[in-house]
Amino acid sequence: MMDALSDDGSDVNQDDTQEDVMTPAELIAKLEEAWLNEKFSPELQENKSEVVECVMEQLSHMEENLQRVKKGDAKASIHRMEIDRIRFVLSSYLRSRLQKIEKFFPHILEREKSRGEGAPSLLSPEEFAFAKEYYANTETYLKAVALKRMPPNLQTVDMLKAVPEPCLDSFVFLRVKERQENILVEPEADDQREYVVDLEEGSQHLMRYRTIAPLVSSGAVQLI
Amino acid sequence: MDASEVEFLAEKETVTIIPNFSLDKIYLIGGDLGPFNPSLPVDVPVWLALNLKQRQKCRIVPPAWMDVEKLEEIRDLERKEDTFTPVPSPYYMELTKLLLNYASDNIPKADEIRTLVKDIWDTRIAKLRLSADSFISQLEAHAKLDNLTLMEINTIRTFLLDSLNCMYKLRSNLQPGSSKGQFKDF
Repeated sequence: MMDALSDDGSDVNQDDTQEDVMTPAELIAKLEEAWLNEKFSPELQENKSEVVECVMEQLSHMEENLQRVKKGDAKASIHRMEIDRIRFVLSSYLRSRLQKIEKFFPHILEREKSRGEGAPSLLSPEEFAFAKEYYANTETYLKAVALKRMPPNLQTVDMLKAVPEPCLDSFVFLRVKERQENILVEPEADDQREYVVDLEEGSQHLMRYRTIAPLVSSGAVQLI
Repeated sequence: MDASEVEFLAEKETVTIIPNFSLDKIYLIGGDLGPFNPSLPVDVPVWLALNLKQRQKCRIVPPAWMDVEKLEEIRDLERKEDTFTPVPSPYYMELTKLLLNYASDNIPKADEIRTLVKDIWDTRIAKLRLSADSFISQLEAHAKLDNLTLMEINTIRTFLLDSLNCMYKLRSNLQPGSSKGQFKDF
Protein backbone atom coordinates (compact mmCIF):
# COMPACT_ATOMS: atom_id res chain seq x y z
CA MET A 1 0.00 0.00 0.00
CA MET A 2 2.76 2.36 0.95
CA ASP A 3 4.71 1.48 -2.17
CA ALA A 4 1.74 2.19 -4.37
CA LEU A 5 1.53 5.67 -2.97
CA SER A 6 5.17 6.61 -3.23
CA ASP A 7 5.40 5.22 -6.77
CA ASP A 8 2.46 7.29 -7.86
CA GLY A 9 3.93 10.29 -6.15
CA SER A 10 7.13 10.08 -8.15
CA ASP A 11 5.05 9.55 -11.29
CA VAL A 12 3.44 12.90 -10.73
CA ASN A 13 6.83 14.54 -10.67
CA GLN A 14 7.95 12.91 -13.88
CA ASP A 15 4.73 13.59 -15.76
CA ASP A 16 4.94 17.24 -15.12
CA THR A 17 8.54 17.76 -16.04
CA GLN A 18 7.87 16.08 -19.35
CA GLU A 19 5.00 18.21 -20.55
CA ASP A 20 6.09 21.37 -18.81
CA VAL A 21 9.52 22.62 -17.77
CA MET A 22 8.22 23.57 -14.32
CA THR A 23 8.44 21.19 -11.41
CA PRO A 24 5.28 20.85 -9.31
CA ALA A 25 6.97 22.81 -6.52
CA GLU A 26 7.66 25.70 -8.89
CA LEU A 27 4.11 25.47 -10.12
CA ILE A 28 2.77 25.91 -6.59
CA ALA A 29 5.15 28.83 -6.06
CA LYS A 30 3.79 30.43 -9.24
CA LEU A 31 0.26 30.00 -7.99
CA GLU A 32 1.15 31.63 -4.68
CA GLU A 33 2.77 34.58 -6.45
CA ALA A 34 -0.30 35.05 -8.61
CA TRP A 35 -2.49 34.79 -5.51
CA LEU A 36 -0.66 37.55 -3.63
CA ASN A 37 -0.44 39.81 -6.70
CA GLU A 38 -4.15 39.41 -7.30
CA LYS A 39 -4.98 40.07 -3.65
CA PHE A 40 -3.05 43.32 -3.45
CA SER A 41 -3.35 44.90 -6.88
CA PRO A 42 -6.20 47.35 -7.37
CA GLU A 43 -6.99 46.07 -10.88
CA LEU A 44 -7.49 42.62 -12.34
CA GLN A 45 -4.27 40.89 -13.41
CA GLU A 46 -3.82 38.75 -16.50
CA ASN A 47 -5.36 35.34 -16.13
CA LYS A 48 -3.05 32.47 -15.30
CA SER A 49 -5.30 29.70 -16.57
CA GLU A 50 -2.31 27.53 -17.48
CA VAL A 51 -1.08 27.56 -13.91
CA VAL A 52 -4.59 27.01 -12.58
CA GLU A 53 -5.19 24.08 -14.91
CA CYS A 54 -1.87 22.44 -14.10
CA VAL A 55 -2.53 22.77 -10.36
CA MET A 56 -6.02 21.31 -10.76
CA GLU A 57 -4.52 18.42 -12.69
CA GLN A 58 -1.98 17.79 -9.96
CA LEU A 59 -4.68 17.89 -7.32
CA SER A 60 -7.03 15.49 -9.08
CA HIS A 61 -4.17 13.16 -9.92
CA MET A 62 -3.15 13.06 -6.27
CA GLU A 63 -6.74 12.60 -5.15
CA GLU A 64 -7.20 9.67 -7.51
CA ASN A 65 -4.16 8.04 -5.98
CA LEU A 66 -5.48 8.65 -2.49
CA GLN A 67 -8.77 6.96 -3.38
CA ARG A 68 -6.90 3.71 -3.66
CA VAL A 69 -5.29 3.98 -0.23
CA LYS A 70 -7.02 2.53 2.79
CA LYS A 71 -8.22 4.79 5.57
CA GLY A 72 -5.87 5.70 8.40
CA ASP A 73 -2.71 5.54 6.32
CA ALA A 74 -0.18 7.98 7.77
CA LYS A 75 1.11 9.10 4.38
CA ALA A 76 -2.35 9.61 2.97
CA SER A 77 -3.30 12.01 5.73
CA ILE A 78 -0.20 14.11 5.08
CA HIS A 79 -0.97 14.16 1.37
CA ARG A 80 -4.54 15.22 2.14
CA MET A 81 -3.34 18.08 4.31
CA GLU A 82 -1.13 19.31 1.49
CA ILE A 83 -3.99 19.07 -0.98
CA ASP A 84 -6.19 21.10 1.35
CA ARG A 85 -3.57 23.81 1.64
CA ILE A 86 -3.09 24.07 -2.12
CA ARG A 87 -6.82 24.04 -2.70
CA PHE A 88 -7.22 26.92 -0.23
CA VAL A 89 -4.73 29.06 -2.17
CA LEU A 90 -6.34 28.13 -5.47
CA SER A 91 -9.87 28.98 -4.41
CA SER A 92 -8.81 32.15 -2.63
CA TYR A 93 -7.06 33.20 -5.85
CA LEU A 94 -10.05 32.48 -8.07
CA ARG A 95 -12.41 34.08 -5.58
CA SER A 96 -10.47 37.33 -5.46
CA ARG A 97 -10.55 37.46 -9.27
CA LEU A 98 -14.30 36.97 -9.28
CA GLN A 99 -14.71 39.71 -6.69
CA LYS A 100 -12.78 42.09 -8.92
CA ILE A 101 -14.83 41.10 -11.95
CA GLU A 102 -18.02 41.82 -10.01
CA LYS A 103 -16.66 45.17 -8.94
CA PHE A 104 -15.32 46.43 -12.26
CA PHE A 105 -17.23 44.36 -14.83
CA PRO A 106 -18.04 47.10 -17.39
CA HIS A 107 -14.41 48.26 -17.51
CA ILE A 108 -13.03 44.76 -17.76
CA LEU A 109 -15.41 43.88 -20.58
CA GLU A 110 -14.54 47.14 -22.33
CA ARG A 111 -10.86 46.24 -22.16
CA GLU A 112 -11.59 42.82 -23.56
CA LYS A 113 -13.42 44.43 -26.49
CA SER A 114 -10.61 46.84 -27.32
CA ARG A 115 -7.92 44.17 -26.95
CA GLY A 116 -5.96 43.62 -30.15
CA GLU A 117 -5.90 40.37 -32.09
CA GLY A 118 -3.54 37.92 -30.43
CA ALA A 119 -2.99 39.99 -27.28
CA PRO A 120 -3.39 37.86 -24.15
CA SER A 121 -6.82 38.01 -22.57
CA LEU A 122 -7.32 39.28 -19.02
CA LEU A 123 -10.04 36.74 -18.43
CA SER A 124 -10.16 33.00 -18.75
CA PRO A 125 -13.05 31.76 -20.96
CA GLU A 126 -15.05 30.87 -17.83
CA GLU A 127 -14.43 34.26 -16.26
CA PHE A 128 -15.41 35.96 -19.51
CA ALA A 129 -18.71 34.10 -19.55
CA PHE A 130 -19.25 35.05 -15.90
CA ALA A 131 -18.52 38.72 -16.57
CA LYS A 132 -20.90 38.85 -19.52
CA GLU A 133 -23.64 37.13 -17.59
CA TYR A 134 -23.10 39.41 -14.61
CA TYR A 135 -23.37 42.43 -16.90
CA ALA A 136 -26.59 41.18 -18.46
CA ASN A 137 -28.10 40.29 -15.10
CA THR A 138 -27.23 43.63 -13.54
CA GLU A 139 -28.77 45.41 -16.49
CA THR A 140 -31.96 43.32 -16.37
CA TYR A 141 -32.23 43.83 -12.64
CA LEU A 142 -31.83 47.60 -12.84
CA LYS A 143 -34.45 47.70 -15.59
CA ALA A 144 -36.94 45.55 -13.74
CA VAL A 145 -36.57 47.34 -10.43
CA ALA A 146 -36.36 50.96 -11.42
CA LEU A 147 -35.56 51.98 -14.95
CA LYS A 148 -38.77 50.89 -16.62
CA ARG A 149 -40.73 53.12 -14.26
CA MET A 150 -38.63 56.15 -15.20
CA PRO A 151 -39.57 58.70 -17.85
CA PRO A 152 -38.54 57.39 -21.30
CA ASN A 153 -35.55 59.73 -21.64
CA LEU A 154 -34.01 58.42 -18.41
CA GLN A 155 -34.39 54.74 -19.10
CA THR A 156 -30.86 53.98 -20.20
CA VAL A 157 -27.88 53.69 -17.91
CA ASP A 158 -24.27 53.79 -19.03
CA MET A 159 -22.59 51.07 -17.02
CA LEU A 160 -19.13 52.44 -17.77
CA LYS A 161 -20.05 55.65 -15.98
CA ALA A 162 -22.19 54.04 -13.30
CA VAL A 163 -19.51 51.66 -12.00
CA PRO A 164 -16.28 53.11 -10.56
CA GLU A 165 -13.01 52.31 -12.28
CA PRO A 166 -10.22 50.58 -10.39
CA CYS A 167 -8.05 53.20 -8.74
CA LEU A 168 -4.58 52.71 -10.20
CA ASP A 169 -3.23 55.49 -8.04
CA SER A 170 -3.54 53.55 -4.83
CA PHE A 171 -0.37 52.64 -3.00
CA VAL A 172 0.92 49.08 -2.88
CA PHE A 173 3.67 47.28 -0.98
CA LEU A 174 6.07 45.37 -3.17
CA ARG A 175 9.22 43.27 -3.12
CA VAL A 176 11.68 43.47 -6.02
CA LYS A 177 12.60 40.21 -7.74
CA GLU A 178 14.66 41.62 -10.61
CA ARG A 179 16.66 44.83 -10.25
CA GLN A 180 15.04 47.83 -11.94
CA GLU A 181 16.65 51.17 -12.70
CA ASN A 182 15.24 54.63 -13.11
CA ILE A 183 11.71 54.19 -11.92
CA LEU A 184 10.07 57.60 -12.09
CA VAL A 185 8.31 58.65 -8.90
CA GLU A 186 5.73 61.33 -9.50
CA PRO A 187 5.46 64.12 -6.95
CA GLU A 188 2.63 64.16 -4.45
CA ALA A 189 2.31 67.92 -4.17
CA ASP A 190 2.82 70.69 -6.70
CA ASP A 191 5.87 72.13 -4.97
CA GLN A 192 7.73 68.81 -5.13
CA ARG A 193 9.85 67.59 -8.02
CA GLU A 194 9.63 64.18 -9.61
CA TYR A 195 12.63 61.93 -9.10
CA VAL A 196 13.89 58.51 -10.07
CA VAL A 197 14.68 55.55 -7.84
CA ASP A 198 16.47 52.28 -8.51
CA LEU A 199 14.79 49.19 -7.17
CA GLU A 200 17.43 46.81 -5.84
CA GLU A 201 16.76 43.10 -5.92
CA GLY A 202 15.21 41.90 -2.69
CA SER A 203 14.35 45.36 -1.41
CA GLN A 204 10.83 46.31 -0.34
CA HIS A 205 8.97 49.46 -1.25
CA LEU A 206 5.74 51.36 -0.84
CA MET A 207 4.65 53.28 -3.94
CA ARG A 208 1.80 53.94 -6.34
CA TYR A 209 0.51 50.98 -8.28
CA ARG A 210 0.42 52.94 -11.54
CA THR A 211 4.23 53.40 -11.56
CA ILE A 212 5.00 49.71 -11.26
CA ALA A 213 1.97 48.07 -12.88
CA PRO A 214 3.96 46.78 -15.90
CA LEU A 215 6.56 45.29 -13.56
CA VAL A 216 3.88 43.32 -11.74
CA SER A 217 2.62 41.68 -14.92
CA SER A 218 6.15 40.96 -16.13
CA GLY A 219 6.92 39.31 -12.80
CA ALA A 220 9.83 41.63 -11.93
CA VAL A 221 8.19 42.70 -8.67
CA GLN A 222 5.95 40.85 -6.24
CA LEU A 223 3.17 42.63 -4.38
CA ILE A 224 3.17 41.93 -0.65
CA MET B 1 -5.09 40.32 3.89
CA ASP B 2 -6.14 38.51 6.96
CA ALA B 3 -3.61 37.82 9.72
CA SER B 4 -4.50 34.15 9.46
CA GLU B 5 -3.41 34.20 5.83
CA VAL B 6 -0.02 35.57 6.82
CA GLU B 7 0.18 32.76 9.34
CA PHE B 8 -0.71 30.35 6.54
CA LEU B 9 2.31 31.59 4.58
CA ALA B 10 4.50 31.29 7.66
CA GLU B 11 3.52 27.65 7.99
CA LYS B 12 5.45 26.94 4.80
CA GLU B 13 8.75 27.68 6.55
CA THR B 14 10.71 24.60 7.48
CA VAL B 15 11.54 23.50 10.99
CA THR B 16 13.53 20.54 12.27
CA ILE B 17 11.68 17.80 14.09
CA ILE B 18 12.74 14.61 15.80
CA PRO B 19 10.10 12.02 14.93
CA ASN B 20 9.31 9.01 17.10
CA PHE B 21 7.98 6.89 14.23
CA SER B 22 9.40 5.64 10.97
CA LEU B 23 8.01 6.31 7.53
CA ASP B 24 9.41 6.19 3.99
CA LYS B 25 10.01 9.26 1.92
CA ILE B 26 6.81 11.14 1.06
CA TYR B 27 6.48 12.65 -2.40
CA LEU B 28 4.35 15.74 -1.86
CA ILE B 29 3.37 18.03 -4.73
CA GLY B 30 5.49 20.78 -3.20
CA GLY B 31 8.59 18.61 -2.77
CA ASP B 32 9.84 15.44 -1.13
CA LEU B 33 9.89 14.91 2.64
CA GLY B 34 11.62 12.42 4.84
CA PRO B 35 12.41 9.59 5.22
CA PHE B 36 11.39 9.62 8.89
CA ASN B 37 13.32 7.54 11.40
CA PRO B 38 12.90 7.57 15.17
CA SER B 39 15.24 10.10 16.83
CA LEU B 40 16.86 11.23 13.58
CA PRO B 41 16.25 14.93 12.95
CA VAL B 42 14.46 15.80 9.70
CA ASP B 43 13.29 19.08 8.14
CA VAL B 44 9.57 19.49 7.50
CA PRO B 45 7.23 22.44 6.91
CA VAL B 46 5.77 23.98 10.04
CA TRP B 47 2.22 22.89 9.20
CA LEU B 48 3.28 19.27 9.24
CA ALA B 49 5.47 19.69 12.31
CA LEU B 50 2.55 21.13 14.29
CA ASN B 51 0.22 18.40 13.15
CA LEU B 52 2.68 15.67 14.13
CA LYS B 53 3.34 17.42 17.43
CA GLN B 54 -0.35 17.59 18.24
CA ARG B 55 -0.60 13.88 17.58
CA GLN B 56 2.47 13.43 19.81
CA LYS B 57 4.49 11.89 17.03
CA CYS B 58 7.49 14.19 17.19
CA ARG B 59 9.55 16.67 19.16
CA ILE B 60 10.16 20.08 17.57
CA VAL B 61 13.69 21.50 17.58
CA PRO B 62 13.33 25.28 17.98
CA PRO B 63 15.01 27.32 15.22
CA ALA B 64 18.50 28.57 16.06
CA TRP B 65 17.37 32.16 16.56
CA MET B 66 14.74 31.17 19.11
CA ASP B 67 17.22 31.57 21.90
CA VAL B 68 17.15 33.98 24.83
CA GLU B 69 20.66 35.38 24.28
CA LYS B 70 20.28 35.92 20.57
CA LEU B 71 16.89 37.53 20.99
CA GLU B 72 18.22 39.82 23.72
CA GLU B 73 20.92 41.03 21.32
CA ILE B 74 18.33 41.66 18.62
CA ARG B 75 16.09 43.49 21.06
CA ASP B 76 18.89 45.76 22.26
CA LEU B 77 19.97 46.53 18.71
CA GLU B 78 16.40 47.20 17.69
CA ARG B 79 16.03 49.68 20.56
CA LYS B 80 19.31 51.41 19.77
CA GLU B 81 18.86 51.89 16.03
CA ASP B 82 16.37 54.28 14.52
CA THR B 83 15.89 52.15 11.44
CA PHE B 84 14.53 48.65 11.20
CA THR B 85 17.20 46.05 11.90
CA PRO B 86 17.21 42.70 10.07
CA VAL B 87 15.03 40.11 11.78
CA PRO B 88 16.10 36.51 12.32
CA SER B 89 13.24 35.14 10.24
CA PRO B 90 10.78 36.84 7.88
CA TYR B 91 8.05 35.20 9.93
CA TYR B 92 9.56 35.58 13.41
CA MET B 93 6.33 36.69 15.06
CA GLU B 94 4.11 34.05 13.50
CA LEU B 95 6.60 31.24 14.11
CA THR B 96 7.10 32.24 17.74
CA LYS B 97 3.39 32.29 18.27
CA LEU B 98 2.76 28.96 16.54
CA LEU B 99 5.65 27.10 18.11
CA LEU B 100 5.10 28.48 21.60
CA ASN B 101 1.38 27.75 21.49
CA TYR B 102 1.68 24.19 20.30
CA ALA B 103 5.13 23.07 21.33
CA SER B 104 6.14 25.13 24.35
CA ASP B 105 7.31 21.98 26.13
CA ASN B 106 10.04 21.53 23.46
CA ILE B 107 11.34 25.07 23.75
CA PRO B 108 13.56 25.99 26.68
CA LYS B 109 12.64 29.24 28.47
CA ALA B 110 9.46 29.60 26.46
CA ASP B 111 8.09 32.43 28.58
CA GLU B 112 11.23 34.52 28.29
CA ILE B 113 11.24 34.06 24.53
CA ARG B 114 7.62 35.09 24.31
CA THR B 115 8.35 38.32 26.19
CA LEU B 116 11.47 39.08 24.17
CA VAL B 117 9.76 38.59 20.83
CA LYS B 118 6.88 40.74 22.01
CA ASP B 119 9.38 43.45 23.01
CA ILE B 120 11.02 43.33 19.58
CA TRP B 121 7.63 43.46 17.91
CA ASP B 122 6.47 46.42 20.00
CA THR B 123 9.64 48.40 19.30
CA ARG B 124 9.32 47.76 15.57
CA ILE B 125 5.63 48.62 15.42
CA ALA B 126 6.32 51.89 17.26
CA LYS B 127 8.96 52.71 14.65
CA LEU B 128 6.56 51.73 11.90
CA ARG B 129 3.89 54.09 13.27
CA LEU B 130 6.40 56.92 13.44
CA SER B 131 7.59 56.40 9.89
CA ALA B 132 4.04 56.07 8.59
CA ASP B 133 3.25 59.36 10.26
CA SER B 134 6.20 61.15 8.66
CA PHE B 135 5.47 59.49 5.32
CA ILE B 136 2.02 61.03 5.33
CA SER B 137 2.91 64.41 6.74
CA GLN B 138 5.76 64.91 4.25
CA LEU B 139 3.63 63.82 1.30
CA GLU B 140 6.13 61.24 0.20
CA ALA B 141 5.45 59.23 -2.92
CA HIS B 142 7.90 56.44 -2.32
CA ALA B 143 9.27 54.64 0.71
CA LYS B 144 11.82 51.91 1.09
CA LEU B 145 10.78 49.32 3.62
CA ASP B 146 13.63 46.88 3.89
CA ASN B 147 13.62 44.43 6.78
CA LEU B 148 9.91 44.82 7.39
CA THR B 149 8.09 41.52 7.64
CA LEU B 150 4.81 40.67 5.99
CA MET B 151 2.99 40.55 9.33
CA GLU B 152 4.23 44.02 10.22
CA ILE B 153 3.18 45.42 6.86
CA ASN B 154 -0.13 43.70 7.27
CA THR B 155 -0.94 45.31 10.62
CA ILE B 156 -0.67 48.76 9.10
CA ARG B 157 -1.80 48.05 5.54
CA THR B 158 -5.52 48.81 5.55
CA PHE B 159 -5.25 51.91 7.66
CA LEU B 160 -2.25 53.43 5.87
CA LEU B 161 -3.39 52.69 2.34
CA ASP B 162 -6.93 53.90 2.95
CA SER B 163 -5.75 57.13 4.50
CA LEU B 164 -3.31 57.72 1.64
CA ASN B 165 -6.12 57.18 -0.84
CA CYS B 166 -8.43 59.51 1.03
CA MET B 167 -5.79 62.22 1.19
CA TYR B 168 -5.11 61.82 -2.50
CA LYS B 169 -8.79 62.18 -3.22
CA LEU B 170 -9.07 65.31 -1.12
CA ARG B 171 -5.95 66.84 -2.59
CA SER B 172 -6.73 66.15 -6.19
CA ASN B 173 -10.14 67.72 -5.54
CA LEU B 174 -11.87 65.89 -8.32
CA GLN B 175 -15.58 66.02 -8.93
CA PRO B 176 -17.47 62.79 -8.38
CA GLY B 177 -18.15 61.12 -11.71
CA SER B 178 -14.97 62.27 -13.38
CA SER B 179 -12.80 59.48 -14.65
CA LYS B 180 -9.95 59.87 -12.17
CA GLY B 181 -9.89 59.77 -8.44
CA GLN B 182 -12.58 57.25 -7.88
CA PHE B 183 -12.09 54.68 -5.26
CA LYS B 184 -12.79 51.12 -4.56
CA ASP B 185 -15.87 51.79 -2.53
CA PHE B 186 -19.13 52.59 -4.18
